[in-house]
Amino acid sequence: MSAPLLQLSQATVRFGGLTAVDALDLTLHERELVGLIGPNGAGKTTAFNLITGLYPPASGTVSFGGRPLAGMAPHRIVAAGIARTFQNIRLFGSLSVLDHVRAAGNLHRTASPLQSLVRLRAFRESEDAITARADELLDLFNLSRFRDAPALSLPYGEQRRLEIVRALATRPRLLLLDEPAAGLNPQEKIDLVALIQRVHREFNLTILLVEHSMRVVMGVCQRIAVLDHGKKIAEGSPDGIRQNPAVIEAYLGSEHATALFHH
Amino acid sequence: MPKPHLSLLLALGVAWLVSAFSGHLDPYHLDVLIGVGINVILAVSLNLIAGHTGQFSLGHAGFMAVGAYAATAVSLFLGPRLIGDSPAQGGFAENALFFGALMAGGAAAALAGLLVGIPSLRLRGDYLALVTLGFGEIIRVLLQNFEPLGGALGLNGIPPYTTPFWVIAAVATTVFTVGCLVRSSYGLGFRAVRDDEIAAAATGLHPARYKVVAFTVGAFFAGVAGSLFAHFKLTITPAGFDFTRSIEIVVMVILGGLGNTLGVILAAILLTLLPEFLRPVAEYRLVLYAALLIALMLLRPQGLFNFTVRRAKSRAPV
Repeated sequence: MSAPLLQLSQATVRFGGLTAVDALDLTLHERELVGLIGPNGAGKTTAFNLITGLYPPASGTVSFGGRPLAGMAPHRIVAAGIARTFQNIRLFGSLSVLDHVRAAGNLHRTASPLQSLVRLRAFRESEDAITARADELLDLFNLSRFRDAPALSLPYGEQRRLEIVRALATRPRLLLLDEPAAGLNPQEKIDLVALIQRVHREFNLTILLVEHSMRVVMGVCQRIAVLDHGKKIAEGSPDGIRQNPAVIEAYLGSEHATALFHH
Repeated sequence: MPKPHLSLLLALGVAWLVSAFSGHLDPYHLDVLIGVGINVILAVSLNLIAGHTGQFSLGHAGFMAVGAYAATAVSLFLGPRLIGDSPAQGGFAENALFFGALMAGGAAAALAGLLVGIPSLRLRGDYLALVTLGFGEIIRVLLQNFEPLGGALGLNGIPPYTTPFWVIAAVATTVFTVGCLVRSSYGLGFRAVRDDEIAAAATGLHPARYKVVAFTVGAFFAGVAGSLFAHFKLTITPAGFDFTRSIEIVVMVILGGLGNTLGVILAAILLTLLPEFLRPVAEYRLVLYAALLIALMLLRPQGLFNFTVRRAKSRAPV
């Protein structure tokens, strides 16, 4: 197999006495679609925050495309090719739908900010390219009709979708989706599965998915890693995970256990 | 030609017209016009920092002071050496010197803005407001104790270079620059950083860079305003740039609506003219002024000229 795209080895995050992520080993190869599941508080979102540079590792390493990410600021990690969405949607309250995607397109701006004052051809071309690319993405994800609306006026499901589009506009190689199905109704969940598969296929992406909805995780992931109390307790194919005694044990008594058994 | 450039040229044309006919206008009106212009520059530049970028700053008068003193140093101390003791009044040499003084004032203030911008990377909200307040006071106290620049007595005999032309041109340049900056795709980052820093960084925007740029550019124009102010009042003292001056500018920005350029301009005009109209009630002027402010804040907290209703935060995720 090719060199790994993302590699966490023995990565640990501590908050005071609490070890939120405990010596985590996780490897993602190019074009893989991997699920990261676990009961509440297992450290899934912390793992995301570790990868995206919001928390530094207390020990261990995170590397992307062979480069260590340690000490890189979050915006640099985005520029390196890792984009994410958030568990509780984080859109910009004062920006329109289009401007969310344009702001993300900034990463590939060809004119300097100073050129905005002179507004010569190079600047206009750069701006037009960013807007055209943003419109294209909105079109692709059926958000064009909301183009100029404030992002927060969108229905909840569309806000989730816009967050994914904003992440895609940074042109990532790796996309981290943090509970994209949270708060969606059953029909929206079915649409989301199709959307994730489409994004994975058409954007040549590697995707790491944190999700509580077993229907979504089992439906799209090629491989699943399970966290419990910050430790990885299992990793394997969806079918293998469903029958893994350690996983069943971890989920027992939680609302998701039924979902796991009866899928 | 792009539209913003057309408006800039138009504004410069108006500036020239006003200056051509300034001999026929009431000097009192011209004074009010200059005062309004200076406040518009201050409010629009603070709006970039506090409104668009969300960095609540209580030190804008400090930037203004830095600009005023730097520009005065150029025109008062360097001027005679550069253009002689008695140049033609309103001639090229004087105007060129004044342009240099404005740039020096702006540059010195921008440098101060850069310095204040750095703590803003680690502080937010009330804490940042306190730091900027402290900065303004430090500038004032430093100037008060720095004898070469006049100490507490300030500087007198500043040449009267500020004309309606310079003020209108500076207003137009400020509005144009800030407008172009925030409307470009780059400038979306200012509001993105204000709305949600973590999401901005996750979108590939550099929050620290945006804050420092906002502080530097905002301070530059505050410095220019200070320079115009110095060459209009002809005498400056550290006490003239105290905390209450900063608050005045903050009030203009809040009243106009944070991040709303047109609203902030209108508020600056209104708040500069208001005391003039309140002259007949003389000693009750300040009381009435304060009462009006309180009433406006209670009735229109989103800003007097902000007509878009800010939507409540979206549904919480389940």
